[in-house]
Amino acid sequence: MRTKLWGWFKPLVEGLFAALLGFGIGAVLMLLWKYDPVKAYLALFQGAFGDFGSIGKALSCLLSQGIDACKETGVIYGLYELTNTLTNATPLILTGLTFAIGIRAGLFNIGAEGQVYIGAMAAVAASLFSLPPGLHVLVSILFALIAGALWSLPVALLKATRGVHEVISTIMLNWVGRYLAYYLIATALVDPNRAEKSISIAQSARLLPILPGMDLTASLLVSVLFAGIIYWILWQTALGYEIRAVGLNPDASRYGGIRPTRTMIASFVLGGLAAGLAGATQILGRPPTYALYEDLSNVMNLGFDGIAVALIGRNHPLGAIVAAIFMGGLSAGSNQMQIAAQVPLEMVRVVQGAIILTLAIPELLSIFKIFRRKRG
Amino acid sequence: MSESLAIQMLSIQKIYPDGTVALKGVNFDLRRGEIHGLLGENGAGKSTLTKILSGLLRPTEGKIFIRGKLKNFRNPSDALRSGIGMVHQHFALVPTFSALENILLGQEGSSNLSRLQMSKARARVEEMMRAGGFSVPLDARTESLAVGVQQRVEIIKMLYRSVDVLILDEPTAVLTPVEVHDFFKTLRTLRDAGKSIILITHKLKEILDVTDRVTVLRQGQNAGQIATPEATPEILARMMIGHDVLPSIEKKPTQIGSAIMQVSHLRVKDNLGLHSIEDLSFAVHAGEILGIAGVEGNGQTELVEAITGLRPVEHGEISINEKNIAGQNPRQLYQQGLAHVPEDRRRLGMILEFSLSENSILGVHREKRFHGWLGKILWGKVGSHTWDLIKKFSIVASDVKAPAKSLSGGNQQKLVCAREFDKQPSLVVAAQPTRGLDISATQYIRDQLVHLRDEGKAVLLVSADLEEIFQLSDRIAVMYEGKFMGVAKPEELDRERIGLMMGGVSALAAPVGEAAR
Ligand SMILES: Nc1ncnc2c1ncn2[C@@H]1O[C@H](COP(=O)(O)OP(=O)(O)O)[C@@H](O)[C@H]1O
Ligand SMILES: [Mg+2]
Repeated sequence: MRTKLWGWFKPLVEGLFAALLGFGIGAVLMLLWKYDPVKAYLALFQGAFGDFGSIGKALSCLLSQGIDACKETGVIYGLYELTNTLTNATPLILTGLTFAIGIRAGLFNIGAEGQVYIGAMAAVAASLFSLPPGLHVLVSILFALIAGALWSLPVALLKATRGVHEVISTIMLNWVGRYLAYYLIATALVDPNRAEKSISIAQSARLLPILPGMDLTASLLVSVLFAGIIYWILWQTALGYEIRAVGLNPDASRYGGIRPTRTMIASFVLGGLAAGLAGATQILGRPPTYALYEDLSNVMNLGFDGIAVALIGRNHPLGAIVAAIFMGGLSAGSNQMQIAAQVPLEMVRVVQGAIILTLAIPELLSIFKIFRRKRG
Repeated sequence: MSESLAIQMLSIQKIYPDGTVALKGVNFDLRRGEIHGLLGENGAGKSTLTKILSGLLRPTEGKIFIRGKLKNFRNPSDALRSGIGMVHQHFALVPTFSALENILLGQEGSSNLSRLQMSKARARVEEMMRAGGFSVPLDARTESLAVGVQQRVEIIKMLYRSVDVLILDEPTAVLTPVEVHDFFKTLRTLRDAGKSIILITHKLKEILDVTDRVTVLRQGQNAGQIATPEATPEILARMMIGHDVLPSIEKKPTQIGSAIMQVSHLRVKDNLGLHSIEDLSFAVHAGEILGIAGVEGNGQTELVEAITGLRPVEHGEISINEKNIAGQNPRQLYQQGLAHVPEDRRRLGMILEFSLSENSILGVHREKRFHGWLGKILWGKVGSHTWDLIKKFSIVASDVKAPAKSLSGGNQQKLVCAREFDKQPSLVVAAQPTRGLDISATQYIRDQLVHLRDEGKAVLLVSADLEEIFQLSDRIAVMYEGKFMGVAKPEELDRERIGLMMGGVSALAAPVGEAAR
């Protein structure tokens, strides 16, 4: 029993220390360049979560008086920062899952980036025809899931048949996906009135804000639900058992009658589903845009940020939720750092980098340990 | 100390950090200009002794004299400076470098040689090769070279560093017979040029072919030294194996039944692509333990892997219960009654990070009895199954959710055996099942194997431990270079005979009689 509890507890303790270390390094850097770290971190926290007083007031108002009354008085906006952070976190949970599932199977799947583009486009494409509300949302999500999975298949097949390393093929497919998206947004999916974006998502296919005036939509629930499903697959099914076995020890897996190729394909496809879904949440459930920009700016880098999310979250689906919220907060708060504490953008980035790196280090070390053992 | 000796090692003792006593006061001496064989079974301490001599390990106790002078090597460079170089079983070459680059690598200033220095170095290497009567393509990428050639690169690398004492750890293990012939010619040339050579091997024939003197080690102690012209295979085998009486286990005579597994004309390649098993045929019957003895590296691993679906079969048939199973994957084989206790339990037999529960279903994790709705694994059920195994095999474990790496080696192996024997197999393949285990775990697993045999199962036991082979086997086969040197009943064999066969002397192979069905 002790071991089990410690198993959950240890990553938290390590994470806490890593975060402290990261914030410490950030503080030292800011001091060296003569910025006030206390002010900066307060601003960061404010920007990420707001203040507890206003959050508490907003929540109690919501519970006792209902949404409309709280909107009337503006009390509801005490939740503004927090919901912003959760909105940022929504796609990152999913792209984090993509990388995490890969690592669990012993693969470096960095293809989420391209799969997000393709998933987002598929979600847009579903608005080319009309369907009843509700059903339209489901179909759009399904499109994105399938598109993401399809975009991961070449990686799996190239590795299975030709032994092409997934790092190479995913990077290549990320670029192919990117230019395919540029092309389709400018042609088949272009908004006839505004050439800088794709057509808008049909009203019937949109995920609407949970609270008026704020960006957070039901897509967060979709995302968390999906993380739950992945958790269930990995730890409760034979497929998940095989994925984890192959990732930890391919030789013993073969001995145990597990077919490595099948398992590998499954983990790429699961990762593709997650990344495709991330594209969908960002398009179907992110007001006010509800479209894909021609330069892909509203889906850009979600896949790569997912790598950091996975590492910080210890390649665990539940860890990915926590890590994505942390990352979402970090990016929401960094604006405040610039505005309220006057820390220039470059410095903000350096501090962010230091924090993310120190948080990712424990997991990076354990990954290297496993990879090295498999070679040796 | 005598100065005519190139090397003298006195009362060398080595205790590894984990407490293994590898050498218990070994003496060794090497004359100038001789090829000196170092002979012994696996684990006798040959590698340990020579690693100490080459500065890679430090002795726990003992003295080393080089040309009469007391030396204390702290690292391999120290030894090189005294003219001692070792070529290990696993080469240390950079695969993408050319042969010449590898030869020069690590020499002082080798990283930025000018063109002039480079061509001087090349000339010197070429001169060395001419004198030695052997050559390697200096500009070829090392990874493209055959293993035998790579080995020569290693040797040239040592000669380039002007060693007078060359240590070769089981150098012929990776060579084909033709390569061995050339290799021995090279060794003789080097000796005639005044080098001293230590050749480690367990092959009696090689000792007799090429060495001038032999030192035999047994279980970390000197077992004898003899001038090669006075040695015979029998003398060497006796030194290597010893005379001690064999303990025996109480075994009921059983009724040997029909052949459960039949191997015919099997051909299998090793990892280097060489044929490690060539045209091997035998059978294992219900109610018998067939023990395969032999020095490790003679094809046993490849044989077991081929039978258990982990290595492709080049040619021939393997059948279980009269069905050809060559080419099937492990899961199909388990369904047909195979149980496999693998040689390397930590790499193959279990996943150390997985819990005991998770490990207890490895290989049967797809079976219906462990699954519920939507393919969910019923961990509760798996847990009680694991507890059953733990109780039945008296495994010391506190929690089925604990990771397997938290168990001691003996308990890990018991868990693997418990899982495998629980499959209701008709054929059990057990490779080195008690290696590294304490006495009680060893005894327990041996009893279990005999028990399986008494139940009428066919057991194939592969072991480098002769005591185990004699204790358990109903028939014994001795494997050497991928072939059986002979098959016999334990009472028809003695240690000397087995030792000869293990060393590859076939002239005295046991009678191929009733036992060799
Ligand atoms: N690094 C090590 N740590 C602990 N024990 C070791 C180590 N290397 C070898 N041994 C043990 O020391 C003994 C002698 O091994 P070794 O010198 O490799 O024998 P040989 O080369 O004759 O086969 C064996 O029992 C072996 O298990
Ligand atoms: Mg050795």
